[in-house]
Parts: sequence; structure tokens; C-alpha cells
Amino acid sequence: MKNTSKIVNVMVPLVSVLLAFIIGCIIIAALGANPITALQALWKGAFGSVRNFGTTLSRATPLIFTGLCACFAYRCGVFNLGGEGQFIMGAVVCTVIGTQFNIEGLPAIILCLVAGTIAGGIWAMIPGVLKVYRGQNEMIISIMLNYVATLFMGVLFTDWMRDGSVPQTVAIPDASRLTRLFGLRATTAFVIAVVVGLAVYYFLFFTSKGFQLRAVGYNMTAAEFNGFAVKKYFLASFLVSGMIAGLGGSADILGTQFFLINGYASGYGFDGVSMALIGQLHPLATMLVAIFFAALRVGSTTMQAATGVPTSVSDIIQALVIVFTVAGLAMVKLPEFKALLNRIFSRKEVA
Amino acid sequence: MQEILRMEHITKRFGDMYANRDINFEVRRGEVHTLLGENGAGKSTLMNVLFGLYQPTEGSIYLNGNKVKIDSPAQAVKLGIGMVHQHFMLVEAMTVFENIILGDRNTKGVFIDRDARRKEILELSQQYGLDVEMDKPITEIAVGAQQRVEILKALYKGAELLVLDEPTAALTDIEVEGLFQIIKKLTAEGKSVIFISHKMREVLHISDRITILRAGESVCTLNREETTGEDLANLMIGRELVPSQYKKIEDAGDAVIKLTDVDYCKESKHNGLNGVSLSVGRGEIVGIAGVDGNGQSQLAQVVTGVITPDSGEVDMKGSRVAKFTPNGFIIEKVSHIPEDRNKMGLIGSMSVMDNIVLKTTELPEFSSGNGLYLKKKAIKEYAEQMQKKYDIRCASIEQETRNLSGGNQQKVILARELESDPDLLVAVHPTRGLDIGAARFVHDTMIAARDNGCGVLLISADFDEILEVSDRIIVMFEGEIMGEYSGKNPPINEISLAMAGK
Repeated sequence: MKNTSKIVNVMVPLVSVLLAFIIGCIIIAALGANPITALQALWKGAFGSVRNFGTTLSRATPLIFTGLCACFAYRCGVFNLGGEGQFIMGAVVCTVIGTQFNIEGLPAIILCLVAGTIAGGIWAMIPGVLKVYRGQNEMIISIMLNYVATLFMGVLFTDWMRDGSVPQTVAIPDASRLTRLFGLRATTAFVIAVVVGLAVYYFLFFTSKGFQLRAVGYNMTAAEFNGFAVKKYFLASFLVSGMIAGLGGSADILGTQFFLINGYASGYGFDGVSMALIGQLHPLATMLVAIFFAALRVGSTTMQAATGVPTSVSDIIQALVIVFTVAGLAMVKLPEFKALLNRIFSRKEVA
Repeated sequence: MQEILRMEHITKRFGDMYANRDINFEVRRGEVHTLLGENGAGKSTLMNVLFGLYQPTEGSIYLNGNKVKIDSPAQAVKLGIGMVHQHFMLVEAMTVFENIILGDRNTKGVFIDRDARRKEILELSQQYGLDVEMDKPITEIAVGAQQRVEILKALYKGAELLVLDEPTAALTDIEVEGLFQIIKKLTAEGKSVIFISHKMREVLHISDRITILRAGESVCTLNREETTGEDLANLMIGRELVPSQYKKIEDAGDAVIKLTDVDYCKESKHNGLNGVSLSVGRGEIVGIAGVDGNGQSQLAQVVTGVITPDSGEVDMKGSRVAKFTPNGFIIEKVSHIPEDRNKMGLIGSMSVMDNIVLKTTELPEFSSGNGLYLKKKAIKEYAEQMQKKYDIRCASIEQETRNLSGGNQQKVILARELESDPDLLVAVHPTRGLDIGAARFVHDTMIAARDNGCGVLLISADFDEILEVSDRIIVMFEGEIMGEYSGKNPPINEISLAMAGK
């Protein structure tokens, strides 16, 4: 029984991806292109060469951070939808320190990353504290704070830190940028993301505190009756998930973005939530899903150039994966589905 | 008087358990007929059979002399049966008027003729004195008014026979008086009422006839004039003393926990504590008897640190408790078998293994560096040992606990709570919903803990269970302690009267 539920958990996203691609192919065919060549172009664009693969990893990096941010909070049963705001606050603090403090090189990098991490954590504590001590809904407050962060960033690049006539901030000096991996687009930011993902995985599944945090997430009342300080876990999970996003924001600025500009980081927060949900709140799976989504995005440009199929088809496929996964996860919880599974498995045993 | 309802030889079986066994029950036009019984006596099952929520395993129902088959609540409503559930079935965001016409099948076409409906409802409400404010949303009216809406709703749908399931449980005394006026008006107009309750005073006040159910069987039907509260209490509890199979202890050790004048929300009769003083010594089982919802849940939560009393003192092993947190009490070696094992006891999505070590993963046996690295192998071996010791039947210890049967879930909790070698065990309804074998196992385990020097506070609505294992029996009623009795040769009559508040 345990094994079947594990298999189902893995199968749902895989089947969803398959279904999304089938529908994507139908759309491509309806547009008058050959689905096979289009998908080949998509694959080539994302993984076809080392260079392209580097680009994919680079695009995946911020998504991994916001995905882990959502994953960590949801594991504890708190719905932090403010990954984007926390990511931006990390990026903002990083940009300020990196461009205004007259420091360069490794000390600047370390300071920027640490400060960005703290900024993200503080930004996440606002909904956390309001939830725990005032009973406010953390989802609404964290979403609203996304707008506050976005607009605050707007003040910086349009006014306070504007770079001459262009509405963007000055760029991080070359000496303070993260090194590229083997000369590719991907930087050490990707390495940091993977390390964070492994750390989250280790914490959740191999430490006592992580075990207790998951228990709080599954059943808050029972956790309380069994002596866990539920409020502390809530606050800690907001803090840590915000710190992950903040670290992501600063690493992204130092690695690929270098300056703040209109529209920066838009959509990262909810992308992260989707990655975490499709990855079934498993940190390692979340990272893989983020890479998969980045590949769809990177590859779609090549697909458009090679076959004329617009990049929006890739957006449709991404959206369908999300829809099918969410629907699929709801479906497998239905008693009818469980009964069906039981029947299939018991029949096999008889045979 | 003319008979309106007759239920003949009703039997309802769930698996091997008889919820109702060969019950005969009959209601006449214009009477208030009370169904009296303890929790689990079969009152609700019988009414759910009448209302079409359950199909009887055997037996038949006659309405106005005609045999009927009621296979859904909609069918029951059509036949003129109205039910007011203990927990109201109202849409809170809608107004009173909208709630009453909700699901009205007389409406023809797409639009509702609001004026005509309103007129009908007003007439009804005047006829029976059911005074309600039609345009207020449900959230803004008092509980008593909500109940009137429920009654009005039933009458509007043409009910001739009204079932009121514990209608006074949530009402204040004044509201209860108002309800009784309404019931009298209803019966004067020829409607019949089935009144479900276990409150003796009210039953004697309002009923014409009283049918007593016990353990799924009907004991007898009496006219109100020919009975007294004492008779009813005896019939309801209705048992001779069966000698317990366990040896009773009379000299307990030092008090593990002592409560002095503890109050918690004392205005609330059903969810509060009012001046409670008691103590549990080492090596004794103190049983708290009483009908459910007389403050027992709150008592359990105070002695496990979940809630903080408003006033009064709690001493743990001789020292005053200053701060009430579950963790503080766990450190003091208090174990808890909570009343709702799924909600409060277990993490349903986690495995048997994880639930067994839930509180102890930081111990050096199970992790190194104070929890920095879980020794999964050691945890697994320990859990397997516990699985054998407590006879937990599961496909594997990695199975999610929510997929286990109630008895096995309870054994998981026992394994967790008793292996820590507690000084105080608080067990709330520990055998509720369990089969006889599992219940016996739970009792044996509690007795073994007692003999090991653990103080046990057993809170149960099952009187048999209290009599079986308690060394001392304390009766609670409306948040107060009604009396304390020895567990050896307990005076059953006295105790059952105390449980009814006398």
C-alpha cells in the first residue's frame, strides 16, 4: 500500500507532463507545423549543447530558490506566497550594498549574499508575525507585500539609484560578480541553489527539528498536543523560507542580473509555488521541476526560430503541466480512485 | 390518541455491532415523546433510520398506519418528518428568510415569489409563536433564534412530526423555557415531537411519554406521571454491579497531580470547569464519570498543559505549576491519550514508525548531536520492537497511521505514551470506537501502568469502563464535581444520580 502511494506520487507529475505535451503537439499541428520537429528544436534549444544547457541552468537558478522557499514553508503548513517580494528585497539590498558601499571582490560578494538573505528573512517575518500573534491570513499579507517590494524596487531604479537617463540602477562592478561555471551562462549562483536544496532536503528528512516541522505541517493540533511549540515552528519556517528567497535574489543580482530594472523578478514567486507543488513539496524534486520549466522557456526561443511556432505554445504547455498536476493530485485522493487502485492490485495478486 | 408513527422491530447493525436491536417505538398525535439514553445508547441511530439517513437492517416503519420506506432525508421531509439536528444545518451567510425557503420544491419556474413565501412563513411563525427576524443573516442572531429558524424551516416544509436532537444542549435557561413554550404550542396544534435528551429535569418537565434506550435496546416506555428521576436514572444506566476482573487499589501513593479550585470559563456549563479540586496519586486509577460535554475535555486539557486555567492551583508532584504548556507537562512525565486520536494524537500522514518516536527523536538512541542526524535504522528497529510488544497490526511500520483501524491507531499512541514510563497518564475515552479485544488490551495496559506506580486519570463517558478499572470514581456535571466514590463496591445508584446532576 505504501509503495503504491509512492508510485502514484511520482506518476502524477509524469503523466501530467505527458498529457501537456500531447495537447501541446495538437496545438503545434493546428498551427501548421510538424510537432516532432518543433519538439526537437525545443530540446536542442534547452539541452542541445553545453552552452544551451548552461543557459537553462542559469534560467532555472532563481526558480530553484523561490521553489525551495515555497517548499520549506508549505512543509510546515504555512502558506508563504510572498517568495517574490522576499526575492526582490534580497535583490534590492544586494544591489544597494554592491553598488553604493565602495567595496569589491569576495568581501563584497559575501556581504551582499548575507545581507540579501537577512533582508528576505525579515520581509517574510512580517506575514509570519502577523499570523502567529494577530491571527492574520498569511497568504493575503504575503501577496500584498510582493507589491510593496516591487514598488519599492521601482523607487530605486527610477529615482534614488537611477543610472543617468535610463530607468535602471547602476550595475554591480565586474569584480563583485559571481564566476561563471566553465564559461557558461550559469554561475556559482546555481551551485549555491543546489547546496541550499540539499541542505533543505537534509534538514527536513534527516534531522529531528525537520521531522518535527513536518509533523507541525501535517497536523498542527496533534503537534501541539505532543509538546511542539507550534508558533515557533511557524515563525522559523517563515524566516527560513524568506531567507532562501532573499539569498536567491542577491545571488541572481550578482550572477546574471547585475542591476534592478522594471519588471525584474516578476512571476518568480508564483512560479516557485508551482514548482514546489508539482515537486510534491520534495526539495530535490522541486529543483528538477525548476530545471524542466527553465528548459521549456529557454528551448521555446529556438523552437520559434526553427519552426515558427510561437514561444507562447511553451507557456501553454507549462500552464497545462500545472493544471494537470493539481487536478491529478486531487483526483488520486478521491475514494473512488483508491478503490480502483485496490481492485487493480488485488487482481494482480490473485493472478 | 391517534398514532402517527410506529417503528417496529428496528435493528441496525454496523458490521458485528448492533447500534439498534429490535426496537419498538411509537408516537401519538400531539404528544411529546422523549428518547432517553446515555451516549451510544442508540438514540441517534434510531432517528437517523427514521430520517432516511440509514436503512434499517431489519424492521419496518409505519406512518399514519401505512408502511413506508424512507430512503433519503428528502423522502422523510416529504412524508412530514422534520428534524432539528443538534448542530444546526443553516447557511450562515444567508438571511433567515433565505434559509427557510432554501430547497423549497413548491417554487414553480425560475423565480421565487418572495412575497407569497414571506406571507406563509409569517403566518406560521405567528401561529406557533416562533418569533424570528426574517431579514437578518444567521450569523447575527442568537443560538436560540437559530433553533427557532430550524423549527420554522421544518414546519414550512410541512412537518407533522418533529425530531429535536438534544435541543437544549446549547441554550441558556431562558431560551430553554422559550423552547418549551413553543413545543407546547406545537403539540396543542396537533403536531408530535420526539425529544432527545439525557437531562432528567427537562425530560420530566416536557415529556408525555418517555422511552429509555440502553445499549441499543429499548428498555421500556413510561408515562411521565408514573415515574421519577431516580427511576429513570436507574433504567438509563441500568445495571447491576458486575464484579470487576481487576484488583482495586485502596491506598494510593503521593499525589502526582493535585488541582485546587480550578476554574476555566466557568460560565460555560458544558465546556468549562467550576471550582474543580481533585488529586491523582501514584499507582491508582481515578475515573471521571459523567455524560459527555460536562467539562471533561477541559479537565483533560488542563492536566496536560494544553489550556491554562482562569484561576485555581495545580500542583505537579508537590510543586506549583506556573506555566501551562504541553511540553512542560511532557517533561514532567505526563502522558496523554487524547480524546480525538486522529486530530490530537497522531500525525495521520506520517508512518507508524514516525508516530511512535514523535516525541523522542532528540534522544541519543535515535539521533546524534541532539537531533542533527536521525538514526533511521535505530528508529526502525525500535518501532518494530514496539509493533510486536503492543501488537500493532499494520502492513509495515512505514504504513501511514491514518490507514490503520481505530484499535491499532490507539495502540500506536499507547506505545508512544507508555514507553516513556510516565508518572501521570491522562486517558480520555481511550476505548471509544474500539472492538472488545482492543478495548481489553487498552485496559490491561492501563492497569499495568498503574501497577508500575503511574497515576492514571481516566476520563470516559462509558460508565462500564469507569466501573471496570477505576480505583476511585469522581462524577462531573456541568463543570463541577458532584461526588467522589470508592471504586471498590461503588454505589451505582448514587453515582448515576450524580451523573444526572442530582
